[in-house]
Amino acid sequence: MMPPWLASGFIYASALALTAGGITLLYITTRTFNFAHASMATWGFYVAYTGTALYGGSPYRYFPLVFLFGSLLGVICYFGLNRPLLRRQAAEITLMMSTLGYDLILLSGIQMYCDYLTYTHKLFARRVTMSVYDFQLGGTSAASIILPLIAIAFLTALHFFLVKTKFGVAMRATIENPVLAGASGINADAVYLASWVIGGGMASLGGAFMAMAMTGTPVIGMMSIPFMFAGAILGGLYSLYGGILGGFVVGLAEYGGVYYLATRVGPWVLGYRMAIPLLIMALTLLVFPRGLAGVAWRSVPRAVIGRLRGVGT
Amino acid sequence: MTTGNGAASRASEFFLRREVLITVALLLVLTWLLVSRGVSLLLTILIDFAIFTIVTLSLNLEVGFTGIPQFGRVIAVIAGAFAVGAIPGRLLAWFMGLPHGLSYAEDAVNYKVVPQLSEVLAGNAFLAVVFFLFSLVLAALCGAAIGWLASRPAIRLREAYLGISLLAFGDFFMWAGHNWEPLVGGTTAVFVPDPFRIVWGYRFQAVVITMLVVTLLIYLYVERLTRSPFGRALRMLRDSDVAAGVSGKNIVRVRTQSLMIGSALAAVAGGMYVIYTGTCTAIGFTRLTWTFWPWAYMMLGGIGSNAGVVLGVLLLTTMRSIITVYRFKLFGFLTVWGIDPLWLEYALMGLVIVVVVLFMPHGLIPAKVEPILPLGRVKKALERTAQG
Amino acid sequence: MLTIRGLHAGYGKLHVLFGIDVEVPSGGITVVVGPNGAGKTTLLSTIMGTATAFQGEVLFEGIPITGLPPHEVARHGISYVPQMKNVFADLSVLENLQMAGYMLPRDETQAKASQMLDMFPVLRRFVHRKAGTLSGGERRMLAIAMGLMKKPKLMLLDELSTDLAPIVAKKVITEVARLRNELGMTILLVEQMAKRALEIGDTAYLLVSGEIRFAGGARDLLHDPELARLYLGVKEA
Repeated sequence: MMPPWLASGFIYASALALTAGGITLLYITTRTFNFAHASMATWGFYVAYTGTALYGGSPYRYFPLVFLFGSLLGVICYFGLNRPLLRRQAAEITLMMSTLGYDLILLSGIQMYCDYLTYTHKLFARRVTMSVYDFQLGGTSAASIILPLIAIAFLTALHFFLVKTKFGVAMRATIENPVLAGASGINADAVYLASWVIGGGMASLGGAFMAMAMTGTPVIGMMSIPFMFAGAILGGLYSLYGGILGGFVVGLAEYGGVYYLATRVGPWVLGYRMAIPLLIMALTLLVFPRGLAGVAWRSVPRAVIGRLRGVGT
Repeated sequence: MTTGNGAASRASEFFLRREVLITVALLLVLTWLLVSRGVSLLLTILIDFAIFTIVTLSLNLEVGFTGIPQFGRVIAVIAGAFAVGAIPGRLLAWFMGLPHGLSYAEDAVNYKVVPQLSEVLAGNAFLAVVFFLFSLVLAALCGAAIGWLASRPAIRLREAYLGISLLAFGDFFMWAGHNWEPLVGGTTAVFVPDPFRIVWGYRFQAVVITMLVVTLLIYLYVERLTRSPFGRALRMLRDSDVAAGVSGKNIVRVRTQSLMIGSALAAVAGGMYVIYTGTCTAIGFTRLTWTFWPWAYMMLGGIGSNAGVVLGVLLLTTMRSIITVYRFKLFGFLTVWGIDPLWLEYALMGLVIVVVVLFMPHGLIPAKVEPILPLGRVKKALERTAQG
Repeated sequence: MLTIRGLHAGYGKLHVLFGIDVEVPSGGITVVVGPNGAGKTTLLSTIMGTATAFQGEVLFEGIPITGLPPHEVARHGISYVPQMKNVFADLSVLENLQMAGYMLPRDETQAKASQMLDMFPVLRRFVHRKAGTLSGGERRMLAIAMGLMKKPKLMLLDELSTDLAPIVAKKVITEVARLRNELGMTILLVEQMAKRALEIGDTAYLLVSGEIRFAGGARDLLHDPELARLYLGVKEA
């Protein structure tokens, strides 16, 4: 039996692990800081919600569809925006802005879709409590057990894909050295496309997860994108596994920290909960301006020993 | 040489024609709106235009001229808005012997106190002017302070990290204002004493004219600033940190100043907006409206071009108003599915960004590539060498 | 085998090469030498499609390959060993070889990889180690092995011996000569360490400030006292 804060914390942390991992993956392959992750996540939630509310069954049934829908959004973004800009060798900030435009278009679509659901199907589509569709498992909500398991299963599969399959190794090769990878005959375009498929799917899946822990709204992704970014930055932006771990830590720290403070200091701290992930991010950047991956971890012990001996300067 | 000059002048003629064409078309549309919809719609457009021109000019100063990825424009706007919402009214209340402590922003107190303050301002023209000017100065000071704070990480952090940090802190300030009632009323709006009550009956017109005047002054100031040696230093820094460091410019100081000036201007806009609406609602200061919209305006107008920014803001505010007003006439078919066409506004802004990024990366009025040395000085130097 | 005609090339707006003509005959080593910043690496990058050709053409066995993306150039049978970052540091030695043979069928990749390990026995010990942990010389060997993996018709080698200890550098250059002598490989070798490269080379070009200053036999360039003194730092013996 899990305490409720830990149950929601696990769901939320799994959601952030997926979304932050997706942001990191897209950044290390295409140099694109994806703002559209916000609305991709929201679309994921609405796909799961539509399925559950209109066609019944548990929300988990619709997760494969959620993933595919996110992939589709990613593929559209790649062919419509990202590829032409990458070919032009656009600056990082231009790539970032292009995804912001795409995000606003997706957001417009979400809002219209909500109107449609409300009008045609008489659903309260703008304030959705997905957890009512959940069932109980061992005294806690099933989501708090199932979702982390799905996340772990998915990330394990992703790991095996990257380590064991030829194309997965080719992806790692392209991430590390695009020029040499191209010279070896690896089609970089295919790698970018794959990372939009995987990253988009992860974003939508994360959004569907998130709505199991909090109220689902048309801006659920937009509200939580700073935390997805915080997770990616905590992970150092250059390591996929770092991003996944960073998202998980940020999510769990937010729920744990707020629970601790609310019981010790008072319930008013609940309103300032977003300070916790921001504080984690700010402190990380304060100590390591390039994030955790910017630190040459291997040389740290040597540098420390050098200092101690008085020759490290 | 002559062919090069010919090509350059032909190119400049082309751009001149394009911007002139757009401006004329816009003016025609605005006239048509004035005739068909009356003066109040035009005034609303002009207010949006004035406020967002200031915000976008300030954004352009930091992004276009300094090269800072300012994704937290809303922070400075909030600083100005909250300052004007929280402080001048309190001072006036204290002066008048009314409740002015933390309880000033409480719902039940605020809605009684502020109308009394507005009455006082309505009866005293001098006080009203002082109140207005004090509010703007206060907003500017708070904005400059926030800009200074933001400059601390801005010196250390790399592009993407800085942009994301600024964005995240913008959200944080909004939520802090939303949750901490004594500041600006928390979930309920705090009212702001109205210095324009004195011209009752013509309040709207007076507000619009005042704001346009302030906007014009700020435009002239920014234009002069970016042409000054300071502006050259900024551009040098933007193009190459190393080159500017070599030529002896103090990188840290110039970046800090740019952030402080930009933030102060954005804060003035935030303060004016609060005075115009007469209320300050923390939750209204979203990153969508106060960071992303200005980015879209700036990109459409042309990053690094002040005139472009003005045209971009005018074009998009007009288009947004047209969508709002004529949404049922133009996109009425959407209501068959119960869809409010107002949401097309997001799609419009998104499309503008996408189209600009893909097809016209330099915007409507591209920034001129100016030589780092002013042309006059280069000419003089050439003459001297020719004589010698 | 490879013909370059009137090539102007560079990166973005930066113009680096000004009307280059190069002919790489089949079955020999063609050496391109020249001082730092002459555009040697840009020449190879343009052939591979990572730098932009503004004007002129690149023909491989008579087929134009100008402006093709890298993976398609590679498909024509050209392999490229860059100067820096010529192995995937995060992948194991075996994975590196597999990636280099990306275009081959699976079993052929396996066969070719073990053949490479026979040819460079040094690497056999480190098959499952990450390439980033290899020494400089071992890394160059791996890079050459990777270049050979896809059974290329032409190999482009960029500054193979730079940054290596003299003995190791000599070994690597000897290895290149072996490729020609034993496998009959056609090689385009770009070198700053001009003397050693010219000694094993057949044809030679001298590239200075983006223009060809000398074209002819490698020995002729080596023994041209004027050019050797000016650009190659070869002291007269």
